[in-house]
Amino acid sequence: MSPESIERERLDADVLIVGAGPAGLACALHLANLIRKHNESGAQPPLSADNIYVLEKAREPGAHQLSGAVLDPRGLSELVPDFEKHAPLDSPVTDDAAYFLTRSRAWKFPITPPPLRNRGNYVVSLNRLVKWMAGLVEQASVNLFTQFAGAEIIYDGETVAGVITEDKGRDKDGKPKENFTPGYELRAKVTVLAEGPRGSLTKDLVSRLHLDGLNPQAYAIGIKELWEVPAGRIASGAVWHTMGWPLDSSLHGGGWLYGMRENRVSVGLVASLEYHDPRFDPHEAFQRYKTHPHLRRVLEGGTLVRFGAKTIPEGGWYSMPRPYADGVLLIGDSASFLNGQRLKGIHLAIKSGMLAAETILETLRTGDASARTLSSFQKKVDESWIKKELWPVRNFHQGFEHGLYAGLFNTALQMVTGGRGLVDPMRIRPGYEEYHKLAPGAPAAPPRFAGDGKLTFDRLTDVYHSGTRHEEDQPCHLHVADTNICADRCTVEYGNPCQYFCPAAVYEIARTAGALRLKINASNCVHCKTCDIADPYQIITWVPPEGGGGPNYEGM
Amino acid sequence: MKILVATEQFAGAWNKTSWETLAAGQQIAAETNGHLAALVIGKGVAPLADELASAKLDEVFLVEHDLLATYTPDGFKIALAQAIAEAKPDLVLFPHTYQVRDFAPQLAASLGKGMIGDCVGYRVENGRLIFVRQMFQGRTAADVSFEGAGPWFASLQAGAFRGDNVARGAAKAPVKRIAVKLEAAQIRTKPAERFQETKQAVDLTQAPVLVAVGRGIKAPENIPLAAQLAKALGGELCASRPICDEGWLPMDRQVGSSGQTVAPKLYLALGISGAIQHVVGMKGARTIVAINKDEHAPIFEVADYGIVGDIFEMIPAVTKELENTKA
Amino acid sequence: MKLLVCVKQVPAKDAPLAIAEGGNWIRETDIGFEMNEPDGFALEEALRLKEKHGGEVIALSMGPERAKQAIKEALAKGADRGIHVADDKFFALDPLLTARSLAAAIEREKPDLVLTGLQSDDQGSGQTGVLLAEILGLPHATLIMQIEVQAGGLRVKRELEAGWFQWIELPLPAVLTVQSGINKVRYATLKGIMAAKKKEIVTIARESLGVAPTATQRVERIYVPQKTKKTEFISGTAAEIATKLVEKLRHEARVI
Repeated sequence: MSPESIERERLDADVLIVGAGPAGLACALHLANLIRKHNESGAQPPLSADNIYVLEKAREPGAHQLSGAVLDPRGLSELVPDFEKHAPLDSPVTDDAAYFLTRSRAWKFPITPPPLRNRGNYVVSLNRLVKWMAGLVEQASVNLFTQFAGAEIIYDGETVAGVITEDKGRDKDGKPKENFTPGYELRAKVTVLAEGPRGSLTKDLVSRLHLDGLNPQAYAIGIKELWEVPAGRIASGAVWHTMGWPLDSSLHGGGWLYGMRENRVSVGLVASLEYHDPRFDPHEAFQRYKTHPHLRRVLEGGTLVRFGAKTIPEGGWYSMPRPYADGVLLIGDSASFLNGQRLKGIHLAIKSGMLAAETILETLRTGDASARTLSSFQKKVDESWIKKELWPVRNFHQGFEHGLYAGLFNTALQMVTGGRGLVDPMRIRPGYEEYHKLAPGAPAAPPRFAGDGKLTFDRLTDVYHSGTRHEEDQPCHLHVADTNICADRCTVEYGNPCQYFCPAAVYEIARTAGALRLKINASNCVHCKTCDIADPYQIITWVPPEGGGGPNYEGM
Repeated sequence: MKILVATEQFAGAWNKTSWETLAAGQQIAAETNGHLAALVIGKGVAPLADELASAKLDEVFLVEHDLLATYTPDGFKIALAQAIAEAKPDLVLFPHTYQVRDFAPQLAASLGKGMIGDCVGYRVENGRLIFVRQMFQGRTAADVSFEGAGPWFASLQAGAFRGDNVARGAAKAPVKRIAVKLEAAQIRTKPAERFQETKQAVDLTQAPVLVAVGRGIKAPENIPLAAQLAKALGGELCASRPICDEGWLPMDRQVGSSGQTVAPKLYLALGISGAIQHVVGMKGARTIVAINKDEHAPIFEVADYGIVGDIFEMIPAVTKELENTKA
Repeated sequence: MKLLVCVKQVPAKDAPLAIAEGGNWIRETDIGFEMNEPDGFALEEALRLKEKHGGEVIALSMGPERAKQAIKEALAKGADRGIHVADDKFFALDPLLTARSLAAAIEREKPDLVLTGLQSDDQGSGQTGVLLAEILGLPHATLIMQIEVQAGGLRVKRELEAGWFQWIELPLPAVLTVQSGINKVRYATLKGIMAAKKKEIVTIARESLGVAPTATQRVERIYVPQKTKKTEFISGTAAEIATKLVEKLRHEARVI
């Protein structure tokens, strides 16, 4: 990927945070605040927020942030006590309802199940929230570098010494263009990986240093559209969650619809990436979801404003990797700080970032960034409300391995046993091992979903509405280790699921001159990481493209 | 309303868009019961003024000077300012050429006036003249009107009006010579001879006709078929993204959100489905013809003429018809 | 050389557009903004000239507070300082008023060379550079592909229509509008971004520049053009369709 022979400019920081999402920014802001207090108290050595570098691959903070979202303000209220006055919160939750859907009916739960109760929470646009947080971070003198990705970890033996940023200005064949600018060698005393779900550096680190949790990490794909609907269709602050149709009982997931201000509606579907049918198409399922009468009522006649997709790390406590090693901490979705039962992670991301900041302050004071010292991060997590919240649901996700009804049964059991349930810890297999191979002589795949262009859309139309742009002339950032597998084995065994699970029409199986081959439309990529997760042969590696590229999730 | 059409010529040959501007001038004059004049500027261009005089207009102005033989912004600005002082038009119309972009706003500003540039249309509403121009790269249109007294200046986008619509005059209009004072010292730029270079990239935005191929072309071996059609139409070949991604045509022939945005007189979409990424790059075309074997292809929503059929039958048929009826 | 580049902040390309209430501009909430791409080429030219001939590059932008971001980007790429002419209603200014305001700020600087992009991706009037030349009383050239400094001034290559070009000599000080795509725009470096934080951006309120607010044109409304056409389907045998189509294109649409 990056040839050793390149001369790279070196920069040294105290702390390097990769990713300016809620976790990364919370870490930066809290650390800057702690540093200020440290300096004010005259403690030694004097520290500077100027030596905190945050890298963000998007063109601007928030551009790659996507979530439903209903925010539990717990984390934010600790980070910014007067957040209610300043934070861009869309609407306080005014009404929450849970439904079980069949093809034509919506059965409302008489009592909204506790995990889906949201009074006291806020419907927010994560994009706007993160933009605001980034403003606070910059005001605190932290260096926030947008359009820079972490491409490679710098290892000094087993110690993480920093990160190399991506090379810019290579052409499709990898050759330097006129404006070629090699990536920087950014060294730091502590590196914090806050890359979001399935971070590319995190994946490398966890594998290399064997930081895996007890269970493999488990992911779902979330597909979302932002709509503008005629007035009066739904109150702002109304929060609906649905189970059932269009996901059959073997498929773990559900949908949502949130009313926002100015007649906006957030609507989406989450599907666990552990399904059996390799030709299941989450994007299509979401499109059909919108046609349910209960949702159609709200959306019909409205306009699609934005589309996006992202994966969600929902494995729970036992899937979390060890979040520390020599010189490095893992926070936010990268470390799976997410409550899979409530499907909430922003508050946990923020808290994890704050606890990391507290851990780092100690490191900066003593100069010791060894795993042993950084292990206090785990201790802080264990003693905080993060564990209090995640421990009782530690077996939630695994409980659904055998379908919806088994899952509900397991959940009920876990609720009365403090999370223990039938088996504790409940083990699972990685999602990509759940595919059922196609039987020989399986029927041909049905034609791809075209959409009606008004309520439902095909992938390309949706991708257009994600605002995704990439520098066209650059190396492909989706590395497929052996494309022969695609045509030779995958077509027969799984029917090339990449065409179905990628929400952005990146992967295509094309027939040229009688032969099948994989065609990659890299510039459609919305950086969701589904392919890296769900490929049955695990030969796809997502690496960051040139910084600045990717979706533009304004308002999402 | 007194309208003055400022035409453009180079080395005694018309820039054809001048006739489009004249057609527009005639239309506006008709709608406003106005007076229409046209102007030729340069040196040794009396024959062009004579040619203009055969059109239906009230008078032709001839502005000649040694220092106007070669275009310079200073020369043209100073000369035309004097011509305008004499002709006293309410509205001065230009074709929106590279040359007009170079000096016309300056000319207007030197008289303390503004110019509405690159207009695609106009209308007269309650006696007011409103020009229509595109903003946001053709994604929106804007109605723009003048504020304050004239003379008003506007330039018209190539292809917005039809040069062959120019009406002939019943009698020859008078040609009046306007004498202009111009000193060499006033001209600050020194242009050298023009020369041609094969440009690195094809500029699709300059082609009046575009023949576009999409996935329906199936293989690179079939592209020459489309190229022939493009040639018969006097146009350029272009493509939707997948074709360029495959390398069947170079990237500079791509039309769409990641390629060029075009607005030719005629756009022929062959085997193109009409995904939004492509359509945003060409929906400004004046006339769109789509041939696709899928009657539900979204391309038909933006097409003026639609043919549900096999492009491999239709392309040769249309090419043949064009060649046969060329006379 | 003292180089001054006008950079405009415009809505990000492909931002979904909605018309604002009042109908004469687009809604600015929930869209991203970026430096006008054509201005990026002008900035790159200025930076290259500075690298070759020494001097300083000033980035000038007019607009609301957010326009500073475009200036910061220019500073991160190597511009030395910035000038922000503040005006919240910037979008409503006509080209002449815009140019007069910019000129008032530029005049104080007395640059050797003023560069702009060929036009803006939002309003696309393409007049700013030419108007600046007039108001500042400077010679100018547009659609410039190459700039060479020579004794007494510049030698620039101008693009004409249909693949024709022309070299022009002109004295300094001057104004140039730069053609897009003529160079590979550089990336902002990390050091550049950090250094930019320390570089000066002076903000001047537009009203304080003393430019008479006379407008010469007004945008009455902006709208998404509605499709008024109805698709006419032509049927028959291939030969019949071909005949009908060519006939219609010739005589009905009159495009061939």
